Amino acid sequence: MSVMLYALSTCPYCRMTRKYLEENDVDFDLLEVDLLEGDERTAAIAKVKEISGGSSFPVIVIDDETIVGFNKKRIKELLGL
Amino acid sequence: MSKGKPVRRRFDESTTTADLRKYMAPFADRLGYKFNTDDEFVEEVLASEIEILDATGDVFCPCRVRTGDPKEDAKIVCPCIPFYRDQFAGLKKCWCGLFILKEVEDGLELLGVIEEPTGDIDVPVFRVADLPDGQIRHVKVGKHDIAVARVGDEFFALSNVCRHAFAPLAEGFMDGYYVMCPWHGWRYDVRDGSTDHPGANVKTHDITVVADEVRVRISLGR
Ligand code: SF4
Ligand code: FES
Repeated sequence: MSVMLYALSTCPYCRMTRKYLEENDVDFDLLEVDLLEGDERTAAIAKVKEISGGSSFPVIVIDDETIVGFNKKRIKELLGL
Repeated sequence: MSKGKPVRRRFDESTTTADLRKYMAPFADRLGYKFNTDDEFVEEVLASEIEILDATGDVFCPCRVRTGDPKEDAKIVCPCIPFYRDQFAGLKKCWCGLFILKEVEDGLELLGVIEEPTGDIDVPVFRVADLPDGQIRHVKVGKHDIAVARVGDEFFALSNVCRHAFAPLAEGFMDGYYVMCPWHGWRYDVRDGSTDHPGANVKTHDITVVADEVRVRISLGR
């Protein structure tokens, strides 16, 4: 299972999501989009827009499923926690 | 960042979370919202906004990303409620949860809620006192352009777009229950959107008054 968390360093829900994943020993990759610069940042914003349809965070991609926002219930379901 | 134009700075390096509270509270109040009841959470969000203010010169939303397009980014300066009235009314809170609808008693309960409801949503648009008797004004609710009219103590909401050549009806003239289009004078009944031009009636929306707030009903489709 692959878990990717797109986050902003300033966003409380992103922190909660991160904490939740850590507490549940989930292996995940984290990209803090606001900490990127230049082309990297532009590319990351475009990527998030493509998968989530917007620019709201956090965006969690679990295999092929995308969750926008800290939706604990769906995260739980998809991770089988 | 901004080329040439001076940034209008409401805040500076010495701005505190208490300053932000003071500045934002009345604004949110007019829009039907209050600060989250969970004080610690409010402090956390506002502290993030101060960080962003220091880095960028304005209080951009901590939970959305600046694209660099000034027009887009203007929609995520806090409080951003006017740009997302329908979505936020559906969630009963703003995206970050900093603001919640006034009737919500426990803002903490909403913190993890992200599922956007579908169906009919009553969206607060302004306060009763904000629209005098006999006047009509435009409000944008999500993608809907709506004209809200007041006749005595009754409120009516109809599409803002004239079916003739698309003039904004809210700039028209009120006469009893009728609004006259500002461009060529078609008359619409604000109660049901009807006009005597065949097939040209405009859509209406249900409207309710809750406490001193006017709320327009729209349906969020999915
Ligand atoms: S979502 Fe909330 S915290 Fe973010 S800018 Fe809008 S009103 Fe402010
Ligand atoms: S646009 Fe309204 S009457 Fe012509």
